[in-house]
Amino acid sequence: MNARRTVVALATAFVVAAAMSACRSDAPETQEGSEGVKFDVGVTAEPCPEAVDQNKGCIYLGIISDLTAGPFKALAVPITESQKLFWKRVNTAGGIGGYEVDVTKYIKDNKYDPQTHSQVYQEIKPNVLALAQTLGSPQTAAILPDLKSSNVVAAPASWTSAWAFEDNILESGTNYCFEAMNSVDYAVETFKPKSVAAVHYPGDYGDDGAAGAKVAAEANSLTFTDIPTTPGQENQGSAITKLVQAKPDLVILTTAPAEAAAIVGGAAQAGFKGKFIGTSPTWNPALLKSPAAPALQALYLQSGPWAPYGTDTPGHTAMREAVGDAFKAGPSDGWTAGWVWSYPMKAALQKAADNKDLTRAGLVAAVKSLDTVDYEGMLPPEAGKFAGEPAERVFRQSLISKPDPAAPTGVTVEKDLFVGPTAEKYDFTKACYQ
Amino acid sequence: MSLLARLGRPELYTSYKQDMALLNTPAKRIWTGVIVLVALVLPFTLTDDLLIVLATGFIAAIGAIGLNIVTGYAGQVSLGHAFFLAIGAYTAAVLSGDPDSTRLIGFGITSLPVWLLASGLAAGLAGLIVAPLVARLRGLYLAIVTLGLVFIGEHIWKHWKALTGGVGVGRPAAVPELFGINLAVDGPSYTRAQKLYLLAFVLLVIFGVLARNLVRSRTGRALAAVRDRDIAAEVIGVDVTRYKMVAFAVSSFYAGIAGSLLYVMIGFIEPSSFNLGLSVQYIAMILIGGVATISGSIMGALFITLLPRLTRELPAVLPFISGSATTGGLTVFTVETVLYGLLIIVFLIFEPRGLYGIWVRIRNYWKSWPFSH
Amino acid sequence: MNEFVSTLVKGLGNGSIYALLALGFVIIYKSMRVISFAQPAFMMVGATLVSYLVLEMNFFVAVLVALALTALLGIGVERVALRPMIGKPVFVVAIITLGIDIAIRTVTNVYIGLEIRQMGDPWGLEQVEIFGVPVDQRHLATLITTMVVVTALFAFFRYSRMGLAMRAASYDQEVALAQGVSVGWVFALSWAIAGVLAALAGVFLSVGVGLEQTLWLTALKALPVIILGGLDSLGGAVVAGLSIGVFEALVGTYGADVAPFLGGDFFLVVPYLLMLLVLLVRPYGLFGAREVERI
Repeated sequence: MNARRTVVALATAFVVAAAMSACRSDAPETQEGSEGVKFDVGVTAEPCPEAVDQNKGCIYLGIISDLTAGPFKALAVPITESQKLFWKRVNTAGGIGGYEVDVTKYIKDNKYDPQTHSQVYQEIKPNVLALAQTLGSPQTAAILPDLKSSNVVAAPASWTSAWAFEDNILESGTNYCFEAMNSVDYAVETFKPKSVAAVHYPGDYGDDGAAGAKVAAEANSLTFTDIPTTPGQENQGSAITKLVQAKPDLVILTTAPAEAAAIVGGAAQAGFKGKFIGTSPTWNPALLKSPAAPALQALYLQSGPWAPYGTDTPGHTAMREAVGDAFKAGPSDGWTAGWVWSYPMKAALQKAADNKDLTRAGLVAAVKSLDTVDYEGMLPPEAGKFAGEPAERVFRQSLISKPDPAAPTGVTVEKDLFVGPTAEKYDFTKACYQ
Repeated sequence: MSLLARLGRPELYTSYKQDMALLNTPAKRIWTGVIVLVALVLPFTLTDDLLIVLATGFIAAIGAIGLNIVTGYAGQVSLGHAFFLAIGAYTAAVLSGDPDSTRLIGFGITSLPVWLLASGLAAGLAGLIVAPLVARLRGLYLAIVTLGLVFIGEHIWKHWKALTGGVGVGRPAAVPELFGINLAVDGPSYTRAQKLYLLAFVLLVIFGVLARNLVRSRTGRALAAVRDRDIAAEVIGVDVTRYKMVAFAVSSFYAGIAGSLLYVMIGFIEPSSFNLGLSVQYIAMILIGGVATISGSIMGALFITLLPRLTRELPAVLPFISGSATTGGLTVFTVETVLYGLLIIVFLIFEPRGLYGIWVRIRNYWKSWPFSH
Repeated sequence: MNEFVSTLVKGLGNGSIYALLALGFVIIYKSMRVISFAQPAFMMVGATLVSYLVLEMNFFVAVLVALALTALLGIGVERVALRPMIGKPVFVVAIITLGIDIAIRTVTNVYIGLEIRQMGDPWGLEQVEIFGVPVDQRHLATLITTMVVVTALFAFFRYSRMGLAMRAASYDQEVALAQGVSVGWVFALSWAIAGVLAALAGVFLSVGVGLEQTLWLTALKALPVIILGGLDSLGGAVVAGLSIGVFEALVGTYGADVAPFLGGDFFLVVPYLLMLLVLLVRPYGLFGAREVERI
């Protein structure tokens, strides 16, 4: 008797609850705003919280970065701040299509953990049109299926070659793979090495660079040694030993700054005379004050996807003006990176606004139709090609810098943007590290 | 006896069966029914992101129950939970992985019951293998050795790229397919979050009841004896090594199950997630929830899982916390870290029996109200 | 041969750092029966203090001042956070020290900032020739300093009154109290010594390349050291620290030749494997005292 009543009660409750499922509103509706621009999620007709012009509506972009915990925190903080300043400048200049862009309200920290990244993404997803920054390759990979199914565009804070294959991802600058290939080609041009080694972290960052170095070594008929290493400046002993044993003429370095200093300094101490070319996250201007500074100045060169902070281009100048004194708190090229990464998003938003379609689907369509992006001189316009096949649209140029204590970020350009023969001919069908 | 006669006398048992029942008082039955009802109604009222967080909490509770069995009930402090979680996660991912992939191992078996049990058994087997080695150790030696397991495991996951995809790359998690329906994608009538939430809830209830029965049984009493005074237990005939092995095996089984499902929630597994921090998180769950209690494990797991979400909402309430990460002083993110640590410490100092202890206090207060002092 | 000797010296240098950290753990354990997870924090505090002080004064003076300040911090932490916790279960206190560690490190990270801070030491990455073998100066300096410090510590425990009092308190607190030993002072002093040792370890760890926020992870390597040596053995901590350092360095250099499939960073796992192997045979570590239980 009791059991039956309980069952009946539970069943009724369940049916009622199922009927209540209409309580949740899930799908966003398309609305129309000023000047006939359509929008659905992440765009409001009300002004932004810190709007310059109170008459304009607001486009919300999300930023999910690693601001407290992980290995790239040192770069992530200036990247995020730089992006905030970029969009502030855009808003002061009038915004985009009758709207201002806000990136400050939905900044979340992912603690470099894919689970946290996924959770905070779900939290901000109903409120943002697109992601101005998503940091971390495994983290972005965790949300990539949802990004694709929900038509959310995202600008990644990394240069790995996998992004070229994703339509929703607005990467800028060449990837580590091509950067490494160009570095090897540059070396072949300038000092003709006979052997190459790649000292790298594991994963989408280090393995990408190492793969590029290997391809270029084979194309130029050089012997190649692969030396994986791990984070921790006191853990580089094994890598240094292998380096000294293998005695390559050129080393492609894809690690973090402290480890790079340990490797270059330690190898130099052991009498190593080969040259090092490091990818951009491998450098930090503070290294020029470390005991490894003489070795770095003698043996180290830096490759990069764009020119460092102190360069003279309209974009760089505007950036330096916007950043101002905040730069001194954390001098690094993270400021440059955040600034440059924002240009494609601006171009895509502009195009979508011109098409009168600021819905998520409209933004994706705008991205797919982009052939050039105005980088204000920081990168050539064709670097912003997002239409067409990955192999044709991927940008393959990188540049080489050398250490310079007088420059704000410790490096000045040695050879401007170029594409080496290996990268030019490379058949790009999948991410290099896979 | 009539209902009126039994009102107000919840401890009056009229049959042995009634006494030994899992929900032996009417109050327990009613409250359990209410909680189950509320939990079943939630998918229709909450937004998706909250549902995923709750579902993650439920799965974490399964893991926490496992840890409580070995650390709370059997007294063997294990910091190696992350290792067994990893084994479970990767067994499931490998079993349901894409069999045609050249980079990763996969067998294409996406049926949920198959890979769930397999991941539990794989982890349980690992626990069984490890147990005799650690049965001789006590206290801190045991804890650090289990920590060593985590580090060795980390090394394996980093280097076995065919299994894990490698650091910084990772691999997709298991695909939960039940009766032909894929639970990890939005369906025609239920969203992904709703389906996963219901799955997590049902599994939590099943495994929770199983664990509760285990600790109420002879095995549970033996484990408690091992925890309290293992030499005395040995003297009265409890085979200490055998029960330590049982504790480890069961705990790893639960960890395997939890591990396989935890990553289904995000859909992606990255090998460096299985580190000391993850083990400490589970220890925190059982310490805050209440050692040696099943409901405490569940409460602690939900608390720890929801805590980051709560601290993220704080700045909206407390405006002096800045949202920018470069300005000095109190940022949102520092507050989150500090609050996490602070709450754990406050709980340990003021309520060593954890959330379960708080619940017991509340219950006792109301039991004798208005005569409680 | 040259490579072997320089690897050996590097191993001894790194091992000395582990030994210093482990000694701190063991001293606190012996006096309070509590494992303190706050050592990484003291390590970072000591190194950060030196990196700031060195801008004003000589490196060696800066180190001494930093050691003194870290000792004060250790006493402060003990008085404020640990004294009220006497009597609570050991595990609870361990988690509390973990919380203190996180709190102190969060504050220290603000002062370290996002860059790499320099120690201003005279060794840097320089090498010196010993019998024709090039060895890193900083490893030699670390080794020599550690030996001096350990000898001083042992002499303190053996010959001084306070050392005797600490040894007495570690055997039996009640009896020591009855004999007039101020157990409160023993606690404070053990935390102060642990702080000093950790700070010294931090300084030596950062002299090579510089100090950055992620350096605290090295302190975790002291955990297998204390287990290997035995939780309550000072000599064990030193022996275990040096051996693990040497093993790590040897595997790092020669491991790739012998077993490349184990991965280039297999040497990171070596301390834990070593610990596991030794514990199979001796469940209380190499020199740890067997627990005596009464029913």
